[in-house]
Amino acid sequence: MKEERFSPEQSLQLIQSMISKTREAMSDNSIYFLVWGWITFIACISQFMLKHVYDYEKHYLVWLLTIVGIAFSIYQGRKEEKAIKVRTYVDESMKQLWGGMAISFFVLSMILTKLGWGTAIFPFFILLYGLGTFVSGSIIRFRPLIFGGLIAWVLAVASTFVNYDYQMLFGAAAILISYIIPAHLLRIKKEKAEVNV
Amino acid sequence: MFKDLDPILHSQLRLAVISLLISVKEAEFTYLKEKTNSTAGNLSVQIQKLKEVGYIDVTKQFKDNYPQTICKITHAGIRAFEQYVKDLQTYLGKSTRA
Repeated sequence: MKEERFSPEQSLQLIQSMISKTREAMSDNSIYFLVWGWITFIACISQFMLKHVYDYEKHYLVWLLTIVGIAFSIYQGRKEEKAIKVRTYVDESMKQLWGGMAISFFVLSMILTKLGWGTAIFPFFILLYGLGTFVSGSIIRFRPLIFGGLIAWVLAVASTFVNYDYQMLFGAAAILISYIIPAHLLRIKKEKAEVNV
Repeated sequence: MFKDLDPILHSQLRLAVISLLISVKEAEFTYLKEKTNSTAGNLSVQIQKLKEVGYIDVTKQFKDNYPQTICKITHAGIRAFEQYVKDLQTYLGKSTRA
């Protein structure tokens, strides 16, 4: 790019082209949705099987699977940190949102440990999933995530009508609809966008 | 003819840098170099000028033993860019009416 006088029209074109370049900068978050989606989905289904079908007492141990998710997130986060050249407000907001969500899940676990896990755990967890995906969808303007969040909220209320065991299946359904399906769609969209570049 | 346009911003490379920084939180020197398709030498000079007038903040740090330069637009930079775009619109308005 040379240093020379240029017209207001050229100025405007330059501004537009630079701003459109930063749009490509948004990083692909779908990998986190996929990993966490599948981990929590498998945990819900396994817990249901262990408790309801096999009558295993320590069915809740399946949630230790989340350690894999945490390890993956730390590893992936560090890897991205090394490669990162630009920080967008969208990436920053997503990071803050999911950091806050992780803390909320932890706080909720502590509250329910005190109050008893019995009846309310899954409705509350689904409620939080709904919030996370709804806001994420709004930030990155991706409708399947927004709809996923709305459906999760409906499932949160619906799950209060069934007993604890079946709430696990509602949890699995909420994760499938609000996380896994939108994350796969996001991946497909991203891949298509890359082919078209 | 363009005497009202901010001379700091009415320069291709400086305007390109500010336009990139306006829509992100911060960017590395190498990112700006790649997107503006400029040489490191020229880009350094223009970034220094933008820093001198207070339109951008420049932080130098080390990441994995490599030096890294991070640029971020300031409030003054955002105001200057908004004013520049307004002035540009006035010019373009005049030229289409003429």
